[in-house]
Amino acid sequence: MELNTASSVISLAREMEETSARFYESLAGQYPASEEMFTGYAKENRKFIKQFETAYYGVITDAIEGCYAFNIDPDKYQLNTELAVGAAVAEAAGKALEIEDSLVRFYTDAAEQSKALLADVPRAFTLITKKRTAREEQIKALQ
Amino acid sequence: MAVLEEPVKEIKDVKNYINGEWVESKGEIVDVVNPANCKTIGRVPISTKEEIDAAVAAAQEAWPDWRRTTPLARSRILFRLKDLLEENFEEISRIQTQEHGKCIDESRGETRRGIENVEVACGIPTLMQGYYSEDIAHGIDEWVIPTPLGVFGIIGPFNFPWMIPLWSAPYAVATGNCVVIKPSSEVPLSQMKLAELAEEAGFPPGVWNVVNGGRTVVNGMLDHPDIVGITFVGSTPTGRDVIYKRCGETGKRVIAQCGAKNFMTIMPDCNVDRTVTAMMTSFFGNTGQRCLAAANAVIVGDDDAFYRNFVDRVLALTSNIKVGYGLDESVQMGPIRDKAKKEKALRYIETGLKEGAKLLLDGRKVDIIGDYPDTCFIGPTIFEDVRPDSRVGSEEIFGPVMSIMRVKTLEEAIEISNANSFGNGHSIFTSSGKSAREYHYNILSGNVGINIGIVAPMAFFPFSGMKESFYGVLHTQGKEAVRFFTESKVIIQRWF
Repeated sequence: MELNTASSVISLAREMEETSARFYESLAGQYPASEEMFTGYAKENRKFIKQFETAYYGVITDAIEGCYAFNIDPDKYQLNTELAVGAAVAEAAGKALEIEDSLVRFYTDAAEQSKALLADVPRAFTLITKKRTAREEQIKALQ
Repeated sequence: MAVLEEPVKEIKDVKNYINGEWVESKGEIVDVVNPANCKTIGRVPISTKEEIDAAVAAAQEAWPDWRRTTPLARSRILFRLKDLLEENFEEISRIQTQEHGKCIDESRGETRRGIENVEVACGIPTLMQGYYSEDIAHGIDEWVIPTPLGVFGIIGPFNFPWMIPLWSAPYAVATGNCVVIKPSSEVPLSQMKLAELAEEAGFPPGVWNVVNGGRTVVNGMLDHPDIVGITFVGSTPTGRDVIYKRCGETGKRVIAQCGAKNFMTIMPDCNVDRTVTAMMTSFFGNTGQRCLAAANAVIVGDDDAFYRNFVDRVLALTSNIKVGYGLDESVQMGPIRDKAKKEKALRYIETGLKEGAKLLLDGRKVDIIGDYPDTCFIGPTIFEDVRPDSRVGSEEIFGPVMSIMRVKTLEEAIEISNANSFGNGHSIFTSSGKSAREYHYNILSGNVGINIGIVAPMAFFPFSGMKESFYGVLHTQGKEAVRFFTESKVIIQRWF
């Protein structure tokens, strides 16, 4: 089902960030050489949650189109975090890139759709997109 | 999408908050019912005259000390209240959805708007400064001091149960007055939460009081000689014929914010995508139960293709509105507050049909997301070819009913809008600055939107209103509220 309300999209974003944070935490345990990087990603994911929640709770008012802000199909941004036991770090990096790609697409779409409605929220989404794009370059180096 | 957890899990027995104590009432008890699932979530007293008298007496007794508390000290308590409101933001919001039915985004919006008023009132040390002229004559100086007046009554409505008392209360107490709040007996739970947090913030006993109930409490406020002023938000008949009239008779200050029938003028040069989306919130947000909701869509011009395309776009988007329990995050429109209000809206739909309007979308048939009784649910409804002088086109329905009208010119749109007896929140959608200026210059509306469908003033602006939408002089919120809750004491001084 498509998500239209700001509340549902914020919840989806939170859920995706938590899922990918848990994925990175598990990678940190599996690949000691990249532990610091993966742990950092997990921490940063939770910062992202705070960032967009602060934006949302700060600007949401009854006067704006909060219930009609989005047209997001969550199926388009499914995160597959399954990784075979003993997989090489390059394989893990490939999976991480898929996750990052989904999240970048999600935040790009969400920022575009909410642009005129909730001033600070699209800005928060765009900033997260930028940081994630930079993250993709680091992950590619593991491949 | 999962339904968010309900904060009110058991039936809550609502008490009055008088003189810093939670007091049981001797009055009749009535149920507070969640309109989405029809479950009883509270029991609220219809308090007696003795109880409102006790609250006023406590407030009157607290007033001298509170008045002497410095504005800075008063604002520190408000800062603490602001922090507590932020900490309890989500619970406050969900309570509103439970008691009223509005969607969670709308409840959070209401919470944010209420907090903003506390934030503005925190600035009271500068907001209530007077002004001074040296040497108005040789050796004589003159100045004015805004001085508090005593005890104010605040009467809240059912449609914004938490926010609307906060259009007044923070300014009243910040300026050194004491308050007695009467929430709507239909939706008292979020005001109880607010009173709990006000107590925790540290207001001294008697400064912030809440008395639940109905007419007896209202009459008790109106008749009480120690109540110096009243703010009211509700219907026009009550606001005009009871509150405003009786305050005049008893010499009380009054702000009476009343009903509305808002016209949204749509020019052919509008941004169609953005306008149509804005219309959804404006007509159907809060299930149409707001005094700033648009009710009539006035489409301007003789371009048939534009008109048809525009109406089709509105119809398509409206037809897909998800109706259900507001704690389900996917839901875009909740139920009407209660069955009687739903029936009133249904009667207006019947009236519209009898008056010859064309029913494009029939809200009497509604698909509800989730397994909820349809007792209070109604779907969004659209009428076309509505006459502005018909009942559906001119009376306040307070439900999710859009009436589409067509006129040839902007002048005609302004004329039919101004012919209506209300003047609360008219708006225009256009890309022409000239049309926008002509509109806001000529329209008789206290709040005017230009490409804004819900003209809800921020806390630092007055919430205005004209004609039958407002009775009084000064308004709630911001600097005007500070003026309302204070008298200008002018001092002229000469020393020998």
